[in-house]
Amino acid sequence: MPVNGQRPVRKPKKPFYFNTSEHLLRIGRQKASNLAELLKAIETCPDDSIFQHTFRTLQEHHFIRQGFSNDFAHWTLSAVNEPALAEQLASVDVREFTAIEGLRCRMVEIVNQFLQSHAKSGAHPAHEPFYFCASDLVVLPTKFAPDTLNGFLEGIKQVSVHSIHHHFIEARLRLRRMSNDFSVWLEEEAGLMDAAEAIERIDIYANTLEGVRRQIASVVSEAMN
Amino acid sequence: MDSKDPSAQFASSVADSSADRRRMERRVGPPVRIQRSPGRRASDRKLPSSIMTPPGPPPAPHLDDYRDIVGQSNIDILRFLARDLKGKTIKMVNSTAVGGGVAEMLNRLIPLLTELEVRTHWDVITGGNDFFEVTKAFHNALHGASYELTKAAKNVFLMYNEQNRERLRFDEQMVVIHDPQPLPLVLSRDKHPAHWVWRCHIDLSNPNESVWEFLRPFVEQYDAAIFSSQSFARQLPLPQYLFYPCIDPLSEKNKELTEEQIQKVCDEFGIDRARPIVTQVSRFDRLKDPVGVVQAYKLAKKYVDCQLVLAGGGATDDPEGAAVLNEVKEAAGDDPDIIILDLPPWCAFEINAIQRASTIIVQKSLKEGFGLTVTEALWKGKPTIAGAVGGIPNQIIHKLTGVLVHSVEGCAFQIRYLLTHPEFARTIGLNGREHVKENFLMTADVKRWLLLLRFLEEGKERRRKTA
Repeated sequence: MPVNGQRPVRKPKKPFYFNTSEHLLRIGRQKASNLAELLKAIETCPDDSIFQHTFRTLQEHHFIRQGFSNDFAHWTLSAVNEPALAEQLASVDVREFTAIEGLRCRMVEIVNQFLQSHAKSGAHPAHEPFYFCASDLVVLPTKFAPDTLNGFLEGIKQVSVHSIHHHFIEARLRLRRMSNDFSVWLEEEAGLMDAAEAIERIDIYANTLEGVRRQIASVVSEAMN
Repeated sequence: MDSKDPSAQFASSVADSSADRRRMERRVGPPVRIQRSPGRRASDRKLPSSIMTPPGPPPAPHLDDYRDIVGQSNIDILRFLARDLKGKTIKMVNSTAVGGGVAEMLNRLIPLLTELEVRTHWDVITGGNDFFEVTKAFHNALHGASYELTKAAKNVFLMYNEQNRERLRFDEQMVVIHDPQPLPLVLSRDKHPAHWVWRCHIDLSNPNESVWEFLRPFVEQYDAAIFSSQSFARQLPLPQYLFYPCIDPLSEKNKELTEEQIQKVCDEFGIDRARPIVTQVSRFDRLKDPVGVVQAYKLAKKYVDCQLVLAGGGATDDPEGAAVLNEVKEAAGDDPDIIILDLPPWCAFEINAIQRASTIIVQKSLKEGFGLTVTEALWKGKPTIAGAVGGIPNQIIHKLTGVLVHSVEGCAFQIRYLLTHPEFARTIGLNGREHVKENFLMTADVKRWLLLLRFLEEGKERRRKTA
């Protein structure tokens, strides 16, 4: 990851508090037995169901390298056997959205367009239903609250992947901006703008979360040197 | 049983019940049957002495024992979660102290919660034979079996629950009732304002309506219900949570074994580790489709060399199991590469070794609960082929953490494919292990109980403030 044109590193003024989020999975009221029902359920389900089946499922399946994207795409392929629609749904990058509503609209748009051009597919029964779920969430502190870059690097290496997900992926919804907690801190506290940008460019879909962790550590390490 | 010392409870509940000991002693009697080629029948050879006696109960693990498996950060999270719940108490109530998955799970879970200073007590309801006959019938009916619900059956069910309600105390912050047998204990909630939670371990997706409509009013009085799979749940006017069943990575069934230990077990059972081994571990039960596994193996064997190991039990003390075992033997014919093992129930170590020696593990069930044998296989990093039924799709994401099949032919093809594509097999095996590590280990179960108690307490606090 190139980190050129770096400004001099400065001592961070504020520590970085590594937190983590833990979830308890709730079974929702909606289910879909075909694509038409999926569309209706995506339109009407609570925000936390959209969060569960997109953001959160990435965390649950963080170890899969072969392109696990979101539950809607996976179900469309495995239970409805519509690979073209599955590919479109899988191509939605959750990091392009800073609010659930935008993500929901994108999913609805994709399914809707597909059903308009494949009218018969809407009622084709799935092998198994899609059960909408949601999560109750709690944010917890970890023992890492570094106020140096060395300490930050150590935290990156040692926290759980759930913490990486919390700061790197979920953070968009909290920050309401196209960035992540790590990049914001590196830029605002340490003046490492290029490193912040390099971290923001890491591809979460072509990596496991462990891979993401390694790349972040590598960028920070390079910037420090 | 209302234990103050979960470790002692763990030890006593595994083997100290005299009834259970007698049952185990009875089970020592029949020989372990190994069938291979006609020339090498098990009955002709000396049986491994190691499996003839049930082992003593191992000590309950401590939280730190899991650190090397799940990582320090995950143990830290449990401690953080528990810190805010320190001094809170939980009561678990089920219908048996010994045997069955629920008792096994509670024996592992309770010491860990108590170590985290969330003291957890365990009560077992009592009842006569008539009660357990009714609850057994309810159990089958909730799984969809036809059943005529009589007034007498309802009365027996309610009477014993009333007796238990008078006998038991519910002074804890959270009371967890496991399965349908003790459901009416919730009628005590007026006197005991705990969080009442129903943990349903069975599949309610297609219940006998008369039994479900009889039980539903009790369920609706709970604060929350917990199911093992999304597909097992019902539409209910209360929050429903998803708690996956879990395995203990430190148990005899799942702990790491040395190469020597694995080899010794294979030698004892005549399993050739120099050639591919395809294994299904399960009771001899038609719903596990062991005959279908033999058929799939035979189809695959036309293209690839392999042995088939069918390791299970249930044929000694279950007439239907014995009949299924005979069907399996008949289907196997005189193939010297089919090894059928009818093992006693305490052979967890041997099952562990056989799973670890296997090249591929199959669980070709036609109907399944959650399918913990699949979890065990995935934990051992084994490429796993399983029927897409029950809770198995929660564990096997097709072609990512294993492969799902729907027919004998599909199973045969996947055996061929995985044996001839070892790199793909290795990848899904590794993914499967990570999936278990993330979702289906005992530490994940501890975390879910802590989170549930936390959320219920927060809800109570919010309601109190609003009021």
